[in-house]
Amino acid sequence: LNEDLLATPQGIEASLIAVYSQVNGRGNRMASPSNWVWGSIRGGENNKGTDPGDYSDINPIQRFEAQSTQGVISDKYNGLYEGVARANATMRILPKTDAKGSAAIEAQKVKVEAQVRFLRAHFYFELKRGFNNTPYVDESVDYQKGIELVGNDKDLWPMIEADMQFAIDNLPETWSEAGRVNSWAAKTYMAKILLYQHKFDAAKAIFDDVIANGKTTKGAKYALLPNFSDVFKASNDNSAESVWAYQSAANTGSVNNANPEFDLNWPYNTGPDGPGNCCSFFQPTIEMGNTFRTAAGLPLKNRAYDLPANELKTDMGLESKDPFTPDAGPVDPRLDHTIGRRYIQYLDWKPFPGKAWIRNQPNAGPYQTKKYVYYKTDKGTNQDNSSWTPGYTAINVNIIRFSDVLLMAAECEVEAAGGSLTKAMDYVNQVRTRAQNPADFVMGLFNAGATTDYLNPVMDYTKPAADYQIALYTAADFATAADARENIRMERKLELSGEGHRFFDLMRWSFGATPTYGIDDINAYLTYEAPKIPSGAFTGAKFTKDQDELLPIPQAQIDIQTPDILKQNPGGY
Amino acid sequence: TVADESGNFMPGVNIILKGTAKGTVSDSEGKFSLSVPGNDAVLLITFVGYGTTEVQVGSQTSIEVNLQPDLTSLDEVVVTGYSFDKRRELTGSVSTVKTKDLTVTPTGNVEQLLQGRVAGVTVISNGQPGTTSQVRVRGFGGFGANQPLYIVDGVPTLDISFINPDDIETTTVLKDAGSASIYGARAAAGVIVYTTKKGKKGQKLAVTYDLMAGVSTPGKGQDMMNPTDFADWTWNAIRNTEDANARAGGVAPDYATAFAKFNHPQFGGGLTPVIPDYINVGGAAGVTGSVDLAAEKLKYNIDPRNGSIYQVVKANKQGTDWYKAITRTAPIVRQTIGVSGGGETHRFYIGLSQQDQQGILKNNSFKRYAARANSEFDVLPNLRLGENLQFTYLQRLGLSGGDGGRGISADENDILSAFRMPSIIPIYDEFGGYAGTAAKGFNNPRNPVASRDGQANNTAYQAMAFGNIYLEYDVIPGLTLRTSIGGNYYQNRAHNYSRWQYENSENNSAFGYSEGGSYRFGWTFTNTANYKKTFGDHGIDVLVGQEALNTGKGWDDNESGLNPFSWDPNFINTTNTNSRQAGSYYDNGANMSSYFGQVKYAFKEKYILTGVLRRDGSSVFGVNHRYGTFPAVSAAWRISAEPFMQSVSFISDLKIRGGYGTMGNSNPIVQYNKNNQYTLYGGNVGNSSYDISGSNSSATTGFYRTSIGNKDTKWETAVTTNIGIDGQLFGGKLDVIIDFWKKDTKDLLYQLPLPATVGYNATPPYVNVAKMQNKGIDIFLGNKGNITSGLSYEVNVNGSFLHNEITEIGGGQKYMTTVNPGFRGINPIRNQLGQSISAFFGYQVQGIFQSSEEVSTAATQSGADIGRFRYKDINNDGVINDADRTFLGSPVPKFTGGMNFTLRYKNFDLTAYLYTSLGNKIFNVSRWFTDFYPSFQGAAISNRVKDSWSPTNTGATIPIFESASNFSTNTQSSSFYVENGSYLRLQNVTLGYNLPTALLEKFKMTKLRFFVSANNLFTITGYNGLDPAVGGAADTNFGIDVGNYPVTRGYTGGLNLAF
Repeated sequence: LNEDLLATPQGIEASLIAVYSQVNGRGNRMASPSNWVWGSIRGGENNKGTDPGDYSDINPIQRFEAQSTQGVISDKYNGLYEGVARANATMRILPKTDAKGSAAIEAQKVKVEAQVRFLRAHFYFELKRGFNNTPYVDESVDYQKGIELVGNDKDLWPMIEADMQFAIDNLPETWSEAGRVNSWAAKTYMAKILLYQHKFDAAKAIFDDVIANGKTTKGAKYALLPNFSDVFKASNDNSAESVWAYQSAANTGSVNNANPEFDLNWPYNTGPDGPGNCCSFFQPTIEMGNTFRTAAGLPLKNRAYDLPANELKTDMGLESKDPFTPDAGPVDPRLDHTIGRRYIQYLDWKPFPGKAWIRNQPNAGPYQTKKYVYYKTDKGTNQDNSSWTPGYTAINVNIIRFSDVLLMAAECEVEAAGGSLTKAMDYVNQVRTRAQNPADFVMGLFNAGATTDYLNPVMDYTKPAADYQIALYTAADFATAADARENIRMERKLELSGEGHRFFDLMRWSFGATPTYGIDDINAYLTYEAPKIPSGAFTGAKFTKDQDELLPIPQAQIDIQTPDILKQNPGGY
Repeated sequence: TVADESGNFMPGVNIILKGTAKGTVSDSEGKFSLSVPGNDAVLLITFVGYGTTEVQVGSQTSIEVNLQPDLTSLDEVVVTGYSFDKRRELTGSVSTVKTKDLTVTPTGNVEQLLQGRVAGVTVISNGQPGTTSQVRVRGFGGFGANQPLYIVDGVPTLDISFINPDDIETTTVLKDAGSASIYGARAAAGVIVYTTKKGKKGQKLAVTYDLMAGVSTPGKGQDMMNPTDFADWTWNAIRNTEDANARAGGVAPDYATAFAKFNHPQFGGGLTPVIPDYINVGGAAGVTGSVDLAAEKLKYNIDPRNGSIYQVVKANKQGTDWYKAITRTAPIVRQTIGVSGGGETHRFYIGLSQQDQQGILKNNSFKRYAARANSEFDVLPNLRLGENLQFTYLQRLGLSGGDGGRGISADENDILSAFRMPSIIPIYDEFGGYAGTAAKGFNNPRNPVASRDGQANNTAYQAMAFGNIYLEYDVIPGLTLRTSIGGNYYQNRAHNYSRWQYENSENNSAFGYSEGGSYRFGWTFTNTANYKKTFGDHGIDVLVGQEALNTGKGWDDNESGLNPFSWDPNFINTTNTNSRQAGSYYDNGANMSSYFGQVKYAFKEKYILTGVLRRDGSSVFGVNHRYGTFPAVSAAWRISAEPFMQSVSFISDLKIRGGYGTMGNSNPIVQYNKNNQYTLYGGNVGNSSYDISGSNSSATTGFYRTSIGNKDTKWETAVTTNIGIDGQLFGGKLDVIIDFWKKDTKDLLYQLPLPATVGYNATPPYVNVAKMQNKGIDIFLGNKGNITSGLSYEVNVNGSFLHNEITEIGGGQKYMTTVNPGFRGINPIRNQLGQSISAFFGYQVQGIFQSSEEVSTAATQSGADIGRFRYKDINNDGVINDADRTFLGSPVPKFTGGMNFTLRYKNFDLTAYLYTSLGNKIFNVSRWFTDFYPSFQGAAISNRVKDSWSPTNTGATIPIFESASNFSTNTQSSSFYVENGSYLRLQNVTLGYNLPTALLEKFKMTKLRFFVSANNLFTITGYNGLDPAVGGAADTNFGIDVGNYPVTRGYTGGLNLAF
């Protein structure tokens, strides 16, 4: 197929589809927008899990010992640039497409361009926050047109903003096809881009508009779903909470449409009794579990949740056949929608059996992830069996969802001139109110007295699985900007755990009044976690300032483009 | 009567009355008659592969001649490019192989048989029946597609697996430009010319029957731990880990707590491991005591369609030998019936053959049925019509490894699985199902017996037709016109089933079925004119020709589906499956158009000069560079014919040859990217589809740029220089051929990596940027003679030294960034300037850290601790990082050679054939799986680990056995994995017995020989893996052993019969 065949009204659509397609990285799992390694593992929400030697290329990432030659880093860089290249290819084809005087085709061309530029802004945004500046290439440079001479000396932000502004200006509010981006998604993404640059005033203005007027591609006004757990069900894809999500689909003929980046991130050795069956990657950290501890319905401050008195009780070191009773203390109900833990009902499968579903507990801890896991009732429909493992689903991957928007807006209320701490609290409380919904509590209390066979626990499904205590914040909690900031940041950790945001949040929070916020947080987490993991996976690991904030530019790219043109990031690479 | 060295009658021998054109041919009983003018008459008796014998007739009326085989007969007629030459007149570098050398070993693919037979040809192969091999003539000319061009009866091909060795008449290897550049653009990697057997003029009907039958034995697997040792060493790992953790925490080790925390599902959490009686009772692990089997049987289920799996698996306390479980003693049979004959105006050969070779792995086999018919008719006295045609049915089953099997060593295959399965796991559960790692605590190896058994219903076949039809017309004496049209038809189909597994920790969760096929049709049209004439002392030989060809047009298709209603293969087709997928692909082949000429001039057979010129055009290049011209000149000086040499009595014949020329190569493009000149877009569901409508169940396919074109790409050119001598010393007792050669490949075709910014999925075009140098020395020595009367011997030795070096990569790049194969996170290969192709790259292990002091005083190294690797600080900057990686060796052998030794005593013959490969390294990454605890902890452990480092075993080379998996343990490419791959192998010993002539006559036979052979009787090597013959699918990426299929010992016997 040559370029001329694509320069047609059908061809530009097909070329656009390929750009959308690349958003999940396709063959490059590390380039997916789930950011499970780059956002969640580096953020301390989850660890690599599995065996020490399995996919050991991720080990240095979770230990903050990245090297420029690592395959996972190239994988991210390559996958994102493939997206940029597909966007640029479409941009080159657009002007060659002769509308033959048709206004409809001219309008279509503009809409295609707007979608392409939205997606290109997204790829560059991911590059920017991963690597800082990387070469900016648009449709004007290409093979034998000087592309190898483009270095990383230019700030990417202005170009990202320009692309996103074009999208805002030219995208429609709604589409008949749910998978297309609309102008509200573009506005929201623009606000996020501004937030990352600490341009709070401009970001706040957009968030205000989005929260007041924003709607989904299918025309639904943005809102939180009634149940927190509904966000991660394939049947709720493209709900009112979905601002922009990667459209996943099962049984399409390729599992690349069914979240291939998650295919390792499932409980292990479940057989047909549980989902995925492999490979025990991406297990929540012990520290993340502790974070859900509440007191008077509110999270604990100053990492008090990691104190021995407050830690969650786990079955670390126990066999599934050994006696165990789950933690009886107060916890945020989102804990059991986020983390699979012993004797808590695991979706509609069965009570989580602990070590039996974990590949290597001494290396990876007692938990399994729960978000983006398919339900037993979805087996075969919203789940895809056509590859080597069953862990492929049709659950859309949220890139921006509405509770994320509310919490970003809350930050702006704290930081922007003219912001309101009350409004910030209101946004946070909206998120917490939804989490309070008792109808969404995980049910099934372990009955220790009646259980004799610990492999087959007796459960009381009329009672909640744990002591769920969650309260709203009051004005006193948001009295100062510092308090407000802390509460919002904590809320993001609880609400968005495992969704790939945290590391990037920690880095952008390291500014102004809290210049070492992220570094301190990560080092505290590593210090806490290391002795809990007997394999030594975290022993001696630490975050180094002015180095580990960014990933190294892949060495192979520097070797191809030469170090004079492509400069390495700070750090001893 | 003419007979061979063993007294067998020789049909088809040419007998010519010297000085005349008068002659005849011996019949099937070796008899001939010729009327001679008088007693002075001299008969010249010649036969391919035998020396010319002159017989003074004198007054004899009956003459008995025993021809002696020639080592390198100067009068041997050598089949070269488009023509025949006497070895005496050769100016280029040409080697021949005798057919009987090709038939002694039971191999499915004749290319493999060149191993150790020809100086300058390197063959790296493995033990799979029917596998392809890395066959390299004079080194590795480029980064890919370095396989030689094969010419079978004048028709070019790249796949020679269809040929039955018993059908071959001659094998000639053209090594330098002087000999090969007549094949121009396809000759750079050398040309191997085969001709198949033909009948002779006036030959009585002759029937031959050759049988070879025998077995290959699997040999022994790797030495793995028994269940007790396995448990003990698992405990050692925990203890060692606790030591390291305690040291890091500055506290005393607490083993009791460490074991309790570790709490192995099978062996418990106590200070010593407890071996359980059952490793899986309905999901429960580590069960000691007895189990009520009758009750358990009621719960038993191994069909995942029927709900939860329930198995009862007993611990195999004696230990399962998994290698033994997947292998077998494998039979082989090869038989050929040959019928040949000829009248005054026709000649023919018909060969019918069968080869059935089973692999030592279950459900792995090679079968070939071939029917060959060669004939030639004299339509007019000066017009001949002929054809060479073969129909072949070929079946290769259970073959694994890239590029037709040669990549197997780099695969994680069933052989590796056998060394990953802990020996405590039995093959089967208590009720007949497969046992496996569904029993907890043993990580993820899959039961390799189940895997092999699961392939039982897979089937495949290839049907092929190959051959040509030709006309030859002698216009005037010496001038022959020839036209030939050749074709190559190929069709295959394969059906594969994949099990829905239940026995492993990681299972395929569906039953899969796939089928697919393809066909290709290629053609070659060749027209030549050849004029040979001697004018007094001047001999000239002129050849001009034209050739057009298409490499093969055709289609491929493949279909697959999941979960048919029934798993009965008689029911299954894609129609009966769910989630069906289908795809197809078409290939137009590459077209070539060529013109060539060769002029040879000889003065008194003393001074010989040859010039060759070929111009090739190919459709794979852009219009700017579609044509390439490839000249070569070579000359020879028979110094022994000079008067001043006559006094040197020990030299019978000595010729000095020299040649220089260029050969082209377009193979990388023809084989891998025929559309190199075009920028193309494409898409498929896997790479570029998206569920734009949000349906959750369907996706629209989009298009992206799949390849970038370059119109300026042209031929790569190999410039070769060759200087050699051909000598016969001591009255023909010692033959010597020595060649010094150099091959510089320039404008090397290479997919110069582009920055990721261009788009990672777009294949970069091949451009002419790189350079490679190969140089070497090829030596052949042959000696023969009689020890006593009746006892004669023959020894020949060939050897070649090879140096391969990448001399330029292009684009200012120092190494090939795109070739970086990963093996569980280890990247062993770097193709870099100044190094050989596929060189190993990584950290140099300087030793093992012996103490905390050593750790603290050494260069800073991530993860450094006692008992772990200490890497060398190559740049002496006090930090071990990327910059300290270095070259650790090369898989390219520095020397390969073969030795063939024959003893003949009366009717017995004994032949031994040795092969050696020296100076090559192997990257034994299989040790990552077996020698380190954390790689996949719970999987099997090598017995080597007993010699791992500990405070009391400080001289060890294997690091301490512990949980940590980091930079200082198993995660980096390091010299730990690099081993010496040199070896010497006794490939074959054959003892033969020929029935005496008197007996034969009684049975009306002309030959009956029985033989017994032992293959690969021994291999001398220091290599730790199963077998040092480690190849690879790609030349930029070979010599890596993950799960090599060994070449093993075998025994065969058989007979050769002729009527």
